[in-house]
Amino acid sequence: MFDWVHGIPILSIICYLPLFGALFVVFFMRKDNSAAIRRFATLVAAIDFVVSVPLWFAFDRGGELFQFRESATWIEAIGARYEFGIDGIALLLILLTTLLGVLALLSSWSAIQVREKEYYVFMLLLQTGMLGVFMAMDFFLFYVFWEVMLVPMYFLIGVWGGPRKLYAAIKFFLYTLVGSVVMLLGILALYLYNSSGLFGWGGLGNPRTFFIPQFHEISSVIPPDLQLWIFIVFFVGFAIKVPMFPFHTWLPDAHVEAPTAASVILAGVLLKMGTYGFVRFSLPILPEATVELLPWLVGLSIIGIIYGALVAMAQKDIKKLVAYSSVSHLGFVMLGLFALNPAGINGSVLQMINHGLSTGALFLLVGVIYERRHTRMIAEYGGLSSEMPLFATIFLIITMSSIGLPVLNGFIGEFTILVGAFNRVWWWGLAGVTGIVLGAAYMLWMYQRVFFGPLSNPENKGLDDLNKRELLYLVPIVVLCFWIGLYPRPFFRVLEKPVDYVVQKVDAEYARAMSAGVPDAPTPQLTEAED
Amino acid sequence: MTPIAPQEFYLLLPEIMLATSGMVLLVLGSIGRGTSNRAAALGALLSLAVTTILVFWAHGEAAEGQVILAGMFVLDNYAFFWKIVFLLATALTVLLSERFIDEGGYRAGEFYSLILLATTGMLLMASGFNLLSIWISLELMALSSYILAGYFKRERRSNEAALKYFVLGALSSGILLYGISLLYGTTGTLALEDLAQRLALVTAEGNLLVGVGWVLLAIGLFFKVSAVPFHVWTPDVYVGAPTPVTGYLAAASKAASFAILIRIFFQGLSPVVVDWQIVVAAVAALSMIWGNIAALTQTNVKRMLAYSSIAHAGYILMGVLAASEGGLWAAMFYLLAYAIFTLGAFGAVILLERKEYAGETYEDYAGLAQRAPLLAAMMLIFLLALTGIPPTGGFFGKIYLFAAVIEAGWTWVAVVGVLTSAISLYYYMGIVVQMYLKDSEESSTTPLRAPVLVGTLVFCAVATVILGILPGFFVEFAKASVLPVAWSMF
Repeated sequence: MFDWVHGIPILSIICYLPLFGALFVVFFMRKDNSAAIRRFATLVAAIDFVVSVPLWFAFDRGGELFQFRESATWIEAIGARYEFGIDGIALLLILLTTLLGVLALLSSWSAIQVREKEYYVFMLLLQTGMLGVFMAMDFFLFYVFWEVMLVPMYFLIGVWGGPRKLYAAIKFFLYTLVGSVVMLLGILALYLYNSSGLFGWGGLGNPRTFFIPQFHEISSVIPPDLQLWIFIVFFVGFAIKVPMFPFHTWLPDAHVEAPTAASVILAGVLLKMGTYGFVRFSLPILPEATVELLPWLVGLSIIGIIYGALVAMAQKDIKKLVAYSSVSHLGFVMLGLFALNPAGINGSVLQMINHGLSTGALFLLVGVIYERRHTRMIAEYGGLSSEMPLFATIFLIITMSSIGLPVLNGFIGEFTILVGAFNRVWWWGLAGVTGIVLGAAYMLWMYQRVFFGPLSNPENKGLDDLNKRELLYLVPIVVLCFWIGLYPRPFFRVLEKPVDYVVQKVDAEYARAMSAGVPDAPTPQLTEAED
Repeated sequence: MTPIAPQEFYLLLPEIMLATSGMVLLVLGSIGRGTSNRAAALGALLSLAVTTILVFWAHGEAAEGQVILAGMFVLDNYAFFWKIVFLLATALTVLLSERFIDEGGYRAGEFYSLILLATTGMLLMASGFNLLSIWISLELMALSSYILAGYFKRERRSNEAALKYFVLGALSSGILLYGISLLYGTTGTLALEDLAQRLALVTAEGNLLVGVGWVLLAIGLFFKVSAVPFHVWTPDVYVGAPTPVTGYLAAASKAASFAILIRIFFQGLSPVVVDWQIVVAAVAALSMIWGNIAALTQTNVKRMLAYSSIAHAGYILMGVLAASEGGLWAAMFYLLAYAIFTLGAFGAVILLERKEYAGETYEDYAGLAQRAPLLAAMMLIFLLALTGIPPTGGFFGKIYLFAAVIEAGWTWVAVVGVLTSAISLYYYMGIVVQMYLKDSEESSTTPLRAPVLVGTLVFCAVATVILGILPGFFVEFAKASVLPVAWSMF
């Protein structure tokens, strides 16, 4: 039924549709006609989502690792090619991106009141940048999208943000740019090592290329010292994006100041680029370095989980609380990845999606209440459940999803990650459990203070419950949360092949390192993911 | 010495054409009330167009690497590439100069005549194959530039710029010449090819003299490309000179200086490459660090762009440092792209300026996105290109400079390069903050309504983006034009 997508450059269409939408808005829509602009932009994002859904059905679970390939010459002189293609991991992230794009745009209709034309242009450009990152199979192309995306996000925070927007925007831009230029050195080192050679390291003499599978191919011959260097520079780039402790300080600022939709995209998709970078590049290309640095990586992940949770507990501002909860949740995702076994990585990729949904929804919900009361302070609220029952219900479901209650999506992801972590080293799993407990504590405490108790603040009386548009952008997320929570099998099925591939890449090396006698490396214990 | 065949002069027709039209403009501009601005500009553009055709013709006519006029000039792909860059940058400068002469009430004929003469000097520099012909061509360019920098003769800042430029420029030319004389004294030749052969034979006793010679030569060249620590003239001259002239200095003059720097280093000084590499590494790193740090505190856009130009000299020197074909074509591509987007940035400054110098501070850009969305968007593209963010020519050029320098083993220079690029984001974004994130003030100027200027800027902006996403053709052009790198590093 969806075979036709194989005959057309479906990925390019999905990627550039928002770009053309943005260009159309720039050149053909008048600035004062904001109602038309917001409808048009949302429509473009919606079409983009609709076009991306067939990917899910047409994707051959047992087929090639990378599908929907597009390949064309680009800059021959340096061997950069236009290569698109997705595996199961990218597929899920692309669907998440197109979905959150529509929801974020819908939520902006009432939230954004000034300079609407520019706003929707930047939102659409951002979509193109993010989709390109997940689709690119050429390192050069990947890097172009990776950097391009920073510009619209900078403007979204800087123009439509809160009181400290200038500071937050430039901090976001500087942090991530430093990360990406440092990462660039690693990309160039790989590129040179694969071809003509890197001074002092020799080279493999292959034709010059940025083709990512080629780097996967040579992962076993890259010398360990070189792997270590490249891993470190990649780590800087990706860890800032995730963000891992101690590179996280830009995140709370950016989140608190960003407008709701930008927060949704930031938490939902942008942070995933860091974790995606680890699972796509660091682990499979640099397996020996991964294993060697594992104690440090896991240490930082666990610190992130617990630190993020503790700081979240101390927040008075709901949005800031959600921002710090992201630090904690992303620490979880990293822990799963570094378990280096199928369960851990499966759970961690699924948790990327879960976090995108539940944290995205939390930001949307915070946006809803902020539009009504213009404050996000927990202390200003209390007893809202009587005034806004629908809102309270959805908020509760999302809260439960975020803390990992069974039947909801968060449970599946966290549980699978914990299985992976326990299997690797038992106390990693234990640390993860602590994080879950703390997570339940701060979320429930926040929920209780906002929704229960007496309605003491008179300003909260008579607040409108959710309207239709708000329901329209919240309900899909709730549905997905239940779907993943009750029947996650289709998702794991899509992930099976790429995750096995990553594990085999990183673990074959690991076994070799063991036989060579790495003294204090933990014993590998592989278990199958349960789904 | 072999007699010179008359047809060798034909191959010099582009330069002859340009010099002649420059002088004709000068004469016409001095008769009676002089030429109108528009007529002079049209004349200049016309002669540039004819010269471009002649350059193509001469390139087709000459054999690759044909040496003419007793070894003074060479017609190779390398020279051809630069001539195209210079002519393009000059044409853009002429187009950007439309308004400022009228505003100040200065004579137009002389201005364009000087621009054409300076460009003649550049074309000769690109072809120069003998230290003497290179030096004389350089002086032709430099002397014309000194006058251009002081073109606002009733403004003190312009006078100051011209005087500083002249005094320091003359000093550096003297140093350059002294270096040349020492090399001549040791080797007995000024021809680049002979020089390279004889330098390889220099004995241990001769080494000191050669060493001092090439260091002085290098200092002179670093001065011309405004690399730290020989950059001190740059900010004052850039700020004081009329903005189109500043753009011309940053785009064309810098490219021409790099053209001879690369030719002298790689064709004349190739036997001492290992010696000069460490010097180039230090100068490149210092330029990137100081240029970018000093730019952080500027409040005047032209001054900021001056420091940015110093920093860019450092980035481009990385290509020289790499001493590989990849490094050279990356540097050449980058200079081409840089010429376009830096002229674009100066063009945006011109549109906002009033009465010589007003409208140059960051605050003058406040709310520009509201007042003039097109201009703000174009300025954004130029600033992103200067920072090196895709999809712009600045990004692609920079990436390959980094790759070349890492490949050659100078990883620490590349690290300095990427970190200072990240720093540069802060001050370039300073303008973006004003344009997009601040509101207009009462005193904010509205940009000029000048269709030619706006059209030129649109051209620059589109070209900047094309160089970023489809650089293939231009890369091939640069790649086909690199000088052969004669030795191997390893």
